[in-house]
Amino acid sequence: MLASPTGYAAPTTLEDALDLLAADPDNTIIAGGTDLVPGVRAGRQTPGLLVDLRRLPLDHITAERNDVRLGARVTFTDVLESSVLAAEYPALVTAAADIGGPPIRNRATLGGNLVNASPAADGAPPLLVYDASVVLAGLSGRREVPLLGFFERPGHTVLQPGEILIEIRVPRPAGSTVSSFVKLGPRNAMAIAIVNAAIRVDLDHAGGVRQCRIALGAVAPTPIRALEAETLVVSQGLTPETIARAAAEAARATSPIDDLRATADYRRRMVEVLVQRLLTGSAAELKPGNGHG
Amino acid sequence: MAELSLRVNGTTHQVKTDPCRMLLSVLREDLGLTGAKEGCGQGDCGSCVVILNGRAVNSCLVYAGQADGAEIVTIEGLAEGEVLHPLQQSFIDRWAFQCGFCTPGMLMTAYGFLLETPHPEADEVRKAISGNLCRCTNYANIVAAVVAAATGGPQP
Repeated sequence: MLASPTGYAAPTTLEDALDLLAADPDNTIIAGGTDLVPGVRAGRQTPGLLVDLRRLPLDHITAERNDVRLGARVTFTDVLESSVLAAEYPALVTAAADIGGPPIRNRATLGGNLVNASPAADGAPPLLVYDASVVLAGLSGRREVPLLGFFERPGHTVLQPGEILIEIRVPRPAGSTVSSFVKLGPRNAMAIAIVNAAIRVDLDHAGGVRQCRIALGAVAPTPIRALEAETLVVSQGLTPETIARAAAEAARATSPIDDLRATADYRRRMVEVLVQRLLTGSAAELKPGNGHG
Repeated sequence: MAELSLRVNGTTHQVKTDPCRMLLSVLREDLGLTGAKEGCGQGDCGSCVVILNGRAVNSCLVYAGQADGAEIVTIEGLAEGEVLHPLQQSFIDRWAFQCGFCTPGMLMTAYGFLLETPHPEADEVRKAISGNLCRCTNYANIVAAVVAAATGGPQP
């Protein structure tokens, strides 16, 4: 017999949603349902009352002076259609295009992707390289948490019982910067990543690397940053030799497992290939005369 | 139990049901609209796709309660009486189906896609149907049928 939710509610205020969540530990938020419904069908999740976020104003993408704020209910289709995101967060837009297929993207939300906390979440590496933070709302108030540190282990985040992720905030990149994302999967759509990766490189006024971010998914219990690889690029620049060493260093930052999609060994090798590819691409894009700066 | 208001193919239905049933089940069993199919029940195959508030969605992933007050278009709503929608006619003309099981979902995905991209290239159509599986054809006739429907005939 399939597990079924015990009831459904669509509150009209955040406070009502929080009250409903607090009423019973089995009460569960639903947004797009693209992870929850398969989970319920497979018996992995047994929600009590479904608390639907659809009537809450959480689908904004607004550009503030210092950051862009995305409501938790922003779908991956919304991400693809946003001119703000296309201009400043290309890695996030690329990731959105690589998730599921169009009917999934029309329902699946950014907030849900993060809270579901799959190590392979495609929304995570881009948001990590953009230094995103998430706003968590509870009955006792709100807190803002850096996305780095939000994920604890597969399926688990720092979200406390009764808390709802309501917004993702992404600082606006400044100056000369490039970023990109790649997903390696068993096929081009409707697949969970074998490895996914995002990078971001910021240059200073002299053309040296000011900052580098390398984020990897599906190669550890949570999405991770490859900190030593990043430091290498900042200190040595984007030469072919440094890129090769940084890619190898990134592979060493991982702790992948063998699973039905790939072996740990394959994942390590692919991290090296993909990071090298992304860094080489960013070096080319940052060359003077290539429209950056 | 809940009283749900579903506007389906232009007609508003008041449906009294468990809001935790899937929309696919309500469409098929309560409203007799059996065009949408359950191929996998988990959003992987696309045979259940309908238009919900203007967007193609897997109806097997939508709880009925989530569709309360929504505007829904199913395959039964494409034709106008005996006059087939250009997409349907194009599928017939170009042999874009064999067993027909994937076809309602495929057509609704295409319909939703053309609302957003009225004049697509073939590669865009291929991406648009990436959430719809077909076990009979090689997809090529489907892609050609969607492109052809978009370039001729009235807009959806």
